[in-house]
Amino acid sequence: MSTPTLPLLDRLPCEGEQYRFHFDMAKCIGCKCCVVACNEHNSNPADINWRRVGEIEGGIFPATQRLHLSMGCNHCAEPTCLAGCPVEAYTKDLLTGIVDHSADLCIGCQYCTWNCSYGVPQYDAARGVVGKCDMCHSRINEGENPACANACPEGAIAIEIVDINQWRKHHPEADAPGMPLADHSLSTTRISQAPGAFADLQRVDLDRIEPEPSHWSLVFVLVLMQAATGAILAGVSHWVAFALTSVALSIAPLHLGRPLFAYRAWRGWRTSWLSREVIAFSLFAGAAALPDFRYGAAIIGLIATYCSARIYMVPARPSWNSNFTLFDFYGTVLALGPIFTMPWLAAFGLTSQLILGIHRRRTSRLRIACSILALATLFVSPWICVVFAAAGELLGRARFFETATKNSVASTFLKPGGYCK
Amino acid sequence: MMQSLRRRLGLNNPSRPTRVKPEKWVSTTCGYCSVGCGMEIGVRDGMAIASRGLEHHPVNRGKLCPKGLAEHHMLSSSNRARQPLLRKSGRLVEVGWDEAIAALVSNFRACQQRHGSDSLGVIGTGQLLTEEFYALGKLIQLGFGSRNYCGNTTLCMASAVSGYKRSFGSDGPPGAYEDLETAELIILIGANIADNHPILCQHLEANRNKHLVVIDPRVTKTAMLADQYLPLRPRTDIALLNGMAHVLIRDGLVDLNYVSAHTHGFAALKQQLAAYDPESVAITTGLAAQVIIDLAHRYAKAQSAFIGWTMGVNHSTQGAETVSVINNLALLTGHIGKRGSSPMSITGQCNAMGTRELGFTSSLPGYRKFEDPEDRKDLAALWNIDASRIPSARGLAYPDIINAAVNGQIKALWIIATNPMVSYPNRAQAQMALERVDFLVVQDGFHPTPTTELASLVLPAAIWGEKEGVYTNSERRVSKANAAVLPPGEARSDLDIVLAVAQAIGCREELFPNWQGPGDAFEEMRKVTAGRLCDYSGMTYELIEQHGGLQWPFPVGKQDFTAARLYTDGNFEFPDGKARLLPAECLPFPDPTSDKFPYILNTGRTVEHWHTRTKTAEVAILERMAPNAWLEMNPADAQAPAFRNHDFVDIHSRRGVVRNVELRLTQIVAPGQVFMPFHFAGTNINEVTQDAFDPISREPNYKQCAVRVERSATQPNRRYQTS
Repeated sequence: MSTPTLPLLDRLPCEGEQYRFHFDMAKCIGCKCCVVACNEHNSNPADINWRRVGEIEGGIFPATQRLHLSMGCNHCAEPTCLAGCPVEAYTKDLLTGIVDHSADLCIGCQYCTWNCSYGVPQYDAARGVVGKCDMCHSRINEGENPACANACPEGAIAIEIVDINQWRKHHPEADAPGMPLADHSLSTTRISQAPGAFADLQRVDLDRIEPEPSHWSLVFVLVLMQAATGAILAGVSHWVAFALTSVALSIAPLHLGRPLFAYRAWRGWRTSWLSREVIAFSLFAGAAALPDFRYGAAIIGLIATYCSARIYMVPARPSWNSNFTLFDFYGTVLALGPIFTMPWLAAFGLTSQLILGIHRRRTSRLRIACSILALATLFVSPWICVVFAAAGELLGRARFFETATKNSVASTFLKPGGYCK
Repeated sequence: MMQSLRRRLGLNNPSRPTRVKPEKWVSTTCGYCSVGCGMEIGVRDGMAIASRGLEHHPVNRGKLCPKGLAEHHMLSSSNRARQPLLRKSGRLVEVGWDEAIAALVSNFRACQQRHGSDSLGVIGTGQLLTEEFYALGKLIQLGFGSRNYCGNTTLCMASAVSGYKRSFGSDGPPGAYEDLETAELIILIGANIADNHPILCQHLEANRNKHLVVIDPRVTKTAMLADQYLPLRPRTDIALLNGMAHVLIRDGLVDLNYVSAHTHGFAALKQQLAAYDPESVAITTGLAAQVIIDLAHRYAKAQSAFIGWTMGVNHSTQGAETVSVINNLALLTGHIGKRGSSPMSITGQCNAMGTRELGFTSSLPGYRKFEDPEDRKDLAALWNIDASRIPSARGLAYPDIINAAVNGQIKALWIIATNPMVSYPNRAQAQMALERVDFLVVQDGFHPTPTTELASLVLPAAIWGEKEGVYTNSERRVSKANAAVLPPGEARSDLDIVLAVAQAIGCREELFPNWQGPGDAFEEMRKVTAGRLCDYSGMTYELIEQHGGLQWPFPVGKQDFTAARLYTDGNFEFPDGKARLLPAECLPFPDPTSDKFPYILNTGRTVEHWHTRTKTAEVAILERMAPNAWLEMNPADAQAPAFRNHDFVDIHSRRGVVRNVELRLTQIVAPGQVFMPFHFAGTNINEVTQDAFDPISREPNYKQCAVRVERSATQPNRRYQTS
């Protein structure tokens, strides 16, 4: 084998093994050399940090504990970024277990950034693609430690070999204060905690809560698609459904970093709900163009809506990861589609959406007002009603994105880059 | 336009910019702090594009701190000074060097003719190369004939200098970094090395058998490394150290042989220490009496014991006395001049030591004394001048130069590589001084800074990475710094500027005969230090580079390159060879808390930034990791005013106010105390700090003052507030 072994290791990983990071919390002094070395080695701009250092604190003065958590990619045994990727841009290296990402294949959909519990893949808007820690694969190929491990003055970061089957049993060694649990993707990073760690240790960034982006292009795509599904289901002209779908499918690529490469999005259908959604809605658009295929098209639309919901039902986003997401999406189908033809069904849909939004605390006064006005005008004028109902669903879907909670690794007290910039 | 469209469509090549490999690596020494890490600058197409640690360097063994790892970015930052700027009808306009030097000389000379030689004040730095300090000192003291020359090192380690002089008869940290690796007991007092000198932690980490005691009012990152953390009350360090000395004497732990053979003053010290029994000290310090007793016993019984300190000790109106009291402990137990044993000041700036040795500010070059006629005669002979030209007393220290400028005694100021408009305590005082002088020259690598903006003349200087010479680190290791790239624009090395000014005032041939560059200065420095404590005479540039720096004293013929210490034979630098045991009383700090100002403010730094951020604010990765200042407060103190994390608060003191500082509620600080980093000009804690100075060292009391904290009128724009 041509690959040389790493310093401190006497061999390469065997079958069923891979490399992993070991982080020694007791040794780390929080100097952040690893962050700078990572950015320098990978030529990343300052606002993209494939390795980050978080702070953890506990105890009462003077028995205070301050610890740091330096994290790159955990090179999970079952990487969720890889499974979710619609274009198969992710690979897991057979020899080293490194989870690699190809910027050339990436279309910038950022779905992996939702799938990862550790905030590892980061979107670079200047290039329109995601990037992530590759354990300095090129350095490893030359028998050198990754830049972070190489720079650490305290020797707190090291590369080890892990037997994946054994790790399945011992993976709680990956857990630490400030870290999401390792179980759903089998994070491989081993963390040695300081002896005598306090029970009340917690990350110091907990009060730094900020809204997530609204993703307006996705808001329109989802609501239009669901309205189209509902319309065809409720017997509205299939041309209406086709028109709505066409608009949605033309908007959809706008949220990609590389819209011209949207055509690749079906490739990950074996594992990715995003690929499945793309395929299902493309089929739906075709079916909606056919006359006399109302029920066939409706079934495809309902399946596609299911795929849409599953995209968001990921462990890394706890506020999305429940059947309420399914209710929400099907609720929109019922709230918008049947307004003209089956007002009672629409009334049910609008009411359930209103209640769901309030129950899940992801609503706004404006959204509630829109839905109530839609209900009030439903039997008076469907044309007025549809305006309010659509506005309500759009606002509700935007709030769905804005209020997303995400699993993440502890960050610093100060917001990186600051508030004012 | 096309580019942006291509980007939006995703047609541009998304591959990561491939890492460009440097054409060559230039070895040098880091220009940030005094640890003195050996490093290399990667150069390509005349640009510095990478930094890395020197693999087998004795100081850092290939590692660098985050600032060092990104140091090359500083060279090309957009705030570099590129062109001399002269103020004409209120505006700074670009001029050539000839006009700039002529303006400097004519204004300084006119001022001196009208108001006397000493009406020229010069405030230097710890940032220059030793060759530059040496030349600058000669130019000011002998060329311009002004004694009022001091450096920003007075804001930093003057107390250590004074303390060493008072105890040992000379300045000079006696230990070596190797002591951190071999000491059985390590006490760090007022030293947060994990944030401020992170590479030293490597040496601590290598010491597997140590007992590390960290003494600090705040749970610093360094405190987290400790086997034992002692949270003493602010400014009670003298009481604690005296208490330890009391126990040493009471319990018969003093090395009486060492004390009688090598020290003076034991009887008087013993008498004075009687009042510092552990029970009384426990009340003063807030530590348990048994803890003090145990620490004293541990210190005395350890085979080797090291005490390290930085600004927690120095930044005090009793800084010099605190250093002397630390030295007392080392002398009483003989823990000095041995492997693993030393009372060690860990210095701040990359070359604060260089200016101490050869700068001609607080002493004559080569650790000679102004007061000593023999020393003056000695130097006059070396320089081939009349001894009467060498001042027989030190001129004004930094704070006294500022006060003299405010009072109108100093009429012209030359400020070199320092930024008093951010760094001076009670900043308003510095502003008044700078605005009152008739002619203000600011020589700096960076422009604009809050200080250059007030200048009558800005001289653009080359910085680290653009010039050649030596730095001395905290363990007296003289290391080589080299030029990797050319200075930007018209910027020149400080040595070149000094020589050009000397030429213009007509003293170049007399003071700097046949000097072409730093090598000539170094040759003269070897002669001037020969036979002195800081002996460079056996060093050459080649030998220094070959060994990753050489520790002084390094006389001609020395062949031993292993870690060296001072006072190994117990012979000190007083004429009788004996060190002095000096009593000191623990006094309260000069700005007491009150109902109106209930909190004790402590200031310090963070690992990402350097001093006033002229160097680090333009390094994007450092700025991202530490984007703004913050105030640490204990959650118990936040209850009554209902402060929340990330609120903006204003900090008021008897002198001023700093507004809109992000609040951090944390158990890092004790109830009743608050902490804020000093780096940020926009939220400058030195609006609040006190301009009280140590009467001996003239170092400011940055560390403790009384403040009040209020919620700011404006709060950060955050859509989602937390409960």
